[in-house]
Amino acid sequence: MVKKQMKIDSGILQFAPKGAFYEDASEQFKAIFNMWTDLFQYDRTLFCLMSLLNGTGFSKGSISHMLLSNPQTGKELIPKTLAFDYETKIIKYNLRKEKTPRALKNLLMLAGKEGTHSNLIDTVNGKKRVNNSRTKKIILDYIFNRGHKDLDNLAVNYKGKLKKLIRHALGNVDLHKILNGDTKLFNKWIGRYYANAMPVLLYLFDKELEKNVVYAHYKKISQVQLLKKAAIDGDVNNFRKLMKGIPILTAMGLRNCYKVPIEKSELYTDTTMSSRQKLTSESAAKRTGVEVEVDYKNQNIYDLWKVFFHKITIKDLEKIDEIFEALEFQGKKINKIDLGDVAVILDCSSSMKGSDKRPLHPFLTAISILSSIDNIKEIIPVGGKGIVRTLEDGSNYLYPEGSTKLWKGLIKAAATGIKNIIVISDGYENNIKGMFEHVYKILKRKGHEFELIHINPVFSADAKTGTTRKLTEDTIALPVTDYKYLETELLFNRLIENRDVVEQLLLNKYRKLIGG
Amino acid sequence: MASIFDLVSFKDIQAEEIQNDDEMIVIPLVGPALGDIEKPSNLVFEKTTGYGKMQFKNIGDKLAIVPSNLMIRGTGAQDHAMSGSGIVVEKTTHVFDNACCIEQSQSGYLKSQNNIEDVLPISLRRSLLSLSLRNHKSYDKLWPDISDWLKGLDIKKTSSAHLNYFYNDKNIKEELEQFAAAFEPVQDQIGAIIFFGKDPVGIEIMSSPEHWNTYWKHLIRGCYGAELLRLKMLNVLQPSTLKLPRVTKDNTLEDITQKIESFSKKLIQEMVDIVKNIQVTNDIRISIDNRKKVEIRLITTKTGGGDIILQESKPVYMSLVL
Repeated sequence: MVKKQMKIDSGILQFAPKGAFYEDASEQFKAIFNMWTDLFQYDRTLFCLMSLLNGTGFSKGSISHMLLSNPQTGKELIPKTLAFDYETKIIKYNLRKEKTPRALKNLLMLAGKEGTHSNLIDTVNGKKRVNNSRTKKIILDYIFNRGHKDLDNLAVNYKGKLKKLIRHALGNVDLHKILNGDTKLFNKWIGRYYANAMPVLLYLFDKELEKNVVYAHYKKISQVQLLKKAAIDGDVNNFRKLMKGIPILTAMGLRNCYKVPIEKSELYTDTTMSSRQKLTSESAAKRTGVEVEVDYKNQNIYDLWKVFFHKITIKDLEKIDEIFEALEFQGKKINKIDLGDVAVILDCSSSMKGSDKRPLHPFLTAISILSSIDNIKEIIPVGGKGIVRTLEDGSNYLYPEGSTKLWKGLIKAAATGIKNIIVISDGYENNIKGMFEHVYKILKRKGHEFELIHINPVFSADAKTGTTRKLTEDTIALPVTDYKYLETELLFNRLIENRDVVEQLLLNKYRKLIGG
Repeated sequence: MASIFDLVSFKDIQAEEIQNDDEMIVIPLVGPALGDIEKPSNLVFEKTTGYGKMQFKNIGDKLAIVPSNLMIRGTGAQDHAMSGSGIVVEKTTHVFDNACCIEQSQSGYLKSQNNIEDVLPISLRRSLLSLSLRNHKSYDKLWPDISDWLKGLDIKKTSSAHLNYFYNDKNIKEELEQFAAAFEPVQDQIGAIIFFGKDPVGIEIMSSPEHWNTYWKHLIRGCYGAELLRLKMLNVLQPSTLKLPRVTKDNTLEDITQKIESFSKKLIQEMVDIVKNIQVTNDIRISIDNRKKVEIRLITTKTGGGDIILQESKPVYMSLVL
């Protein structure tokens, strides 16, 4: 019997369940899930170490889920240089590296409350919810092993999610006992991380504080408690006073729940928002008549392009120049990959618009990738339509539209004589099929010397191999769904053939990031 | 008799670059919007009011067109398909009571939500070109043809006349999505001529690029892709590949570009000529609304036919299987 060949590429680190133009997210997830399972079964250590590389929060959460739902038996081949609990260390490290909302989502995957596609995980591992001692410790460690100010903020910002996680980790019986004063159990599970965490627990589960317990360290929690009281009492003036400095979602939640007659615009003005929240809620705030001060210069390049195209589409050109300056600033700041002189063929056809869940994602990723590559001598857009930025300067920006004549782009790129040609495309020619490869072969036969690199910003479950569609037989399509992962992809692609080298590289990375 | 092109006299429509995948070739047709037809998002399938009765609502203020043989598949309800095309006057609800049930032993009525829309495959559309069958108000009228259509296919079930046995098959579903992906709409596209190899199998023209963008997947995936896949599964379609232009060593990059461009143009011309030579054998007016100045005509050719809709005597929609 012929052994099934393992299909793997760095797509396993880059998956986000958002769907694409032609495929829904569950189809894509299935393809990625098979890769995770294959690599897990092939080499658990490699599978775990690999999650130290840059990747999406969702992929890392799913990898952790798989590791935790299959407890270590002690029979695995763990390199001598690694401690037995290296998996736990990596999972914790990855959680701390994520932004809080993503980290909590990943933990909620373990509680079976997150990841709409986890039904597939079910069929393989038999469990959707994972609740063993290791999981319990990881969840409680993440929540309580932090300073009081941090815990205060976390509790106020993510009350609902924390409740679900703690209930999952402790179970209803132990939770009930702890909330009712079982200090031994409290110390065993929570006090070991933070001895003075009881008030937080009581706040999260809406329990009255005992007389001798105070929110001394927890200023935000006590402010929210008072804000809630004002909301229940319908005390609008006090609500207005107390909401200052409270996270917008918390204040908005109380306002909506208790129907406090306060304008949304006041919330945008007086509550606090993260820098990214400001960027994403800028338009919504503007509709209420409030100008949110956004620090464009400190946003990442993908988010900036996203806002740029959104504003152009809705013809809100007021801040366009500022955004454009920020794009230039970030473009210079970004770590660039030097491949020598490069010509880029950029697919601007309709399918680069992406899915409804993640509009324009492939196109935005593609143009963000352009900022990550050094020495681009020529950009050759294929397809697309021009959209005019302003009436005054008439600048034209391409927007995905129509079909793809990628072969023509390849001829133009070859004519430049540049040795590295990068084509960024979803791999659908939408023309005479095979013409790209036909032209590629003609050019090679004619002695044109160039290396073709195909970067595909769209996962494809129907790809014949790996997670992306190829354009030519001998050019591997590199799946890069986030510009930040371009370097990871290039490394992964070159090294995956050599397991020992990859493993050693990752072990070194582990030691550097986590220690012994 | 006249050729199809003479008869319909669509003006300003041009053929664009060929797209192909496997044995399917599509020539996109581009041109200006035709007539004054409601945008597709304002035409809503509401429900089935009984077996064989499909209800649509037009919430816009212009006439809306229900594409020919539109098929609605839901869950826990009897799937349905239109027997032809249809017109729904502005701000009204219309029940088409000559529709077909396409899921023999399933009970329940379709609702407006959670449905998949497609267009019936070519062979079943051909069956409905018979005026008597089309007008016959009997929900089970297409079941014998559906059973025949499924016969011999390597899918889990073929026992009853359930079209979704085919469409819900995991492998088929994936292949059909791939078909659709290879035929992305081009700018200003309002229609397409579809071939299997060099045999024309359909001409579709919608009222505007917006209509095409809404319905192209229904046609490419549900109608033409499905039929092609079935024929391949039955091994009755000869494999054919396009021979790409040859290039010599002395050809410059400009020469190569020109050769490919002229190869493409020649191919388009050859294929359009094939369709131009198709003669209309019959042309019947099957419904007219004098107040709205709109009519539906059923035309037939030697091997097929379909609907043309005219508004103020000008064609605004055509859907023919050949």
